[in-house]
Amino acid sequence: MIKTKVKIKNKLGMHARPATMLVKAASKYRSDLKIVKDDMEINGKSIMGVMTLAAEQGSELELVADGVDEEYLIKEITELFEKKFDEE
Amino acid sequence: MKVLKGLPVSDGIAIGKAKYVNKTKFKIKKKSIKEEEVDSELERFETNLQNVLAELDELIENFSLSKDNQDILNTHKMILKDPDFIEKIKKMISQELMSLEQAIKKHFTDIMAIFNNMENNFYAERSSDYEDVAYRFLKHAMNIKSSDFSNIDKNSVIFIDRISPSEVTKAYEREIQGIVVDQGSKNSHSSIIARSMNLPMVVTSEEHKKKISQNTMVIVDGSEGKIYVDPDEETLHKFTEKKKIIEKRSQELEKLKYKDSVTKDGKKIGLMSNIEIPEEIVQVKHNNSAGIGLFRTEFLFIDRENLPTEEEQYKIYSEIAEKVAPHPLIIRTIDIGGDKLSSILNIEHELNPNLGCRGIRLSFENIPVFKTQLRAILRANKKGNIKIMFPMISCVYEVMKAKKIISECKQELDKVNEVEIGAMIEIPSAAVNAKSIAKECDFLSIGTNDLIQYTLAVDRDNQTVAEYYRPAHPSVLQLIKMTVEKAHKQNTKVAVCGEMASQEQFIGILLGLGIDELSVSPAKVLRIKEKIRNTDIKKQKEIANKMCKMSTEKEVMDFLQRSER
Repeated sequence: MIKTKVKIKNKLGMHARPATMLVKAASKYRSDLKIVKDDMEINGKSIMGVMTLAAEQGSELELVADGVDEEYLIKEITELFEKKFDEE
Repeated sequence: MKVLKGLPVSDGIAIGKAKYVNKTKFKIKKKSIKEEEVDSELERFETNLQNVLAELDELIENFSLSKDNQDILNTHKMILKDPDFIEKIKKMISQELMSLEQAIKKHFTDIMAIFNNMENNFYAERSSDYEDVAYRFLKHAMNIKSSDFSNIDKNSVIFIDRISPSEVTKAYEREIQGIVVDQGSKNSHSSIIARSMNLPMVVTSEEHKKKISQNTMVIVDGSEGKIYVDPDEETLHKFTEKKKIIEKRSQELEKLKYKDSVTKDGKKIGLMSNIEIPEEIVQVKHNNSAGIGLFRTEFLFIDRENLPTEEEQYKIYSEIAEKVAPHPLIIRTIDIGGDKLSSILNIEHELNPNLGCRGIRLSFENIPVFKTQLRAILRANKKGNIKIMFPMISCVYEVMKAKKIISECKQELDKVNEVEIGAMIEIPSAAVNAKSIAKECDFLSIGTNDLIQYTLAVDRDNQTVAEYYRPAHPSVLQLIKMTVEKAHKQNTKVAVCGEMASQEQFIGILLGLGIDELSVSPAKVLRIKEKIRNTDIKKQKEIANKMCKMSTEKEVMDFLQRSER
């Protein structure tokens, strides 16, 4: 199991488009992905979960990956946050 | 005032209040199920889920206007593929014994409540995605096909996600001002119908639409594809005046509805309509045109995974034939290239489809498909007003071969009415050999679009060479003249069903060349009738003869302008 913290950098926060990108990326892997924000924990492969996080610009999230390909999963997901989901 | 830009699909100006019709409240009749129904209900969930996903794929592939719009639809797909969603619905069905509809409704209502309670407005707005998905799913599960707009005031502009051809017809019948849709294209069935009815329609992305709230005053300019939201005094005035001019013009044209299409010097010209889909018949009737000069049957064949059965075709042909009787219905057998049917017919890729296996050639290559269509046509000819027309005839031999197949079909069927046969003249060789073809046919119809393309060797969809596409080129005019003269010697009438017949500027030339009948798009019928009534054939004959002797299209067009002055 790997845990890591990410910060939302894009202006509009985790709206539909980045949420879709995130879920799409996470769903490629066999490992589970949990995303924790404050006291809320959701399934990172569920768009509904990701969107209900209502994560705005600047909010911190914890990613928890667990499974055979957890490293790759975490790597791809953190990159998405880094490049601001191709947004501003 | 805000101005939004969309894709113009049907001309005209609509002024009215914005009415959203996609948020219909569904009344779910069956809320719970019995233990023993669980399995079938789960199966129903699976099937509907697949169908909705397939519909979304199709929309993404074929009807999405913008990247934004595609993104939204991709999000919708993701919402439906959400493992939590699937698990929850299955649980509600199998453990709580809810009906599929009830489970879907509950799930999405719960999610929307979460979004709506969020403090940040931006996220609250996202609940509309879930609302749309729930709507689409329920529409499928409950097999709801269309809205009838019965509760919508006629002074409104309808905002709808996607509109079916029959819904456009209903909107027209209810005198609704205009339509704004999210998904559509210039060539979708609904757009064709809207154009045939002069009903203004614009396609715009959902993101755009969100800026317009229910009951806001809007102006839709169908020719520009613009939507003016909450227009200021000046704009409103400008468009009201424009609309008045359009209305005045169409009232003038309406007066011609029951007048004959006869030239100034008394020659009666048959004026018919071209249609692509059965729903266009509404407008054909409205304009009182003398039947259908060209029913393109391609729409029955494309965009589907299997071929239409004889029964399916029979029903469609019968319905149209009945509605236009006693006027004729000319059905053209399939006129598409193999490229469009390759998925069903197992056709090899062609390097040059326009010169390849298309039109009658495709029918000859696929006799069972051809016979199915012919049998359906023959059976539908109960009133004797159907005629059959063959596309892409290059030589009389093909007409003879097709006629032989028709007689085979006749023998297989019990008594059927006699049917008139015609050939499309769209390949230069057919125009040159019009004499022998006319001998074998009851009528000829010139397809100007292809005749021009093949005479001038120009693909008009290719932007680089578009300037070489010259309808009034003297060589084209000569071929038309040649066809008419040769056919008339055999007492065979000649029609024009190509786009040239729908263009007012060319009517004089065509009639001068001796054309007997015109078949035009339904929306143009009255305008063309007006033109016919203002034409003096004797004068036009002289003009056309002079044009045939010219050497360039420019000369023809200059002469045309001078002679019209």
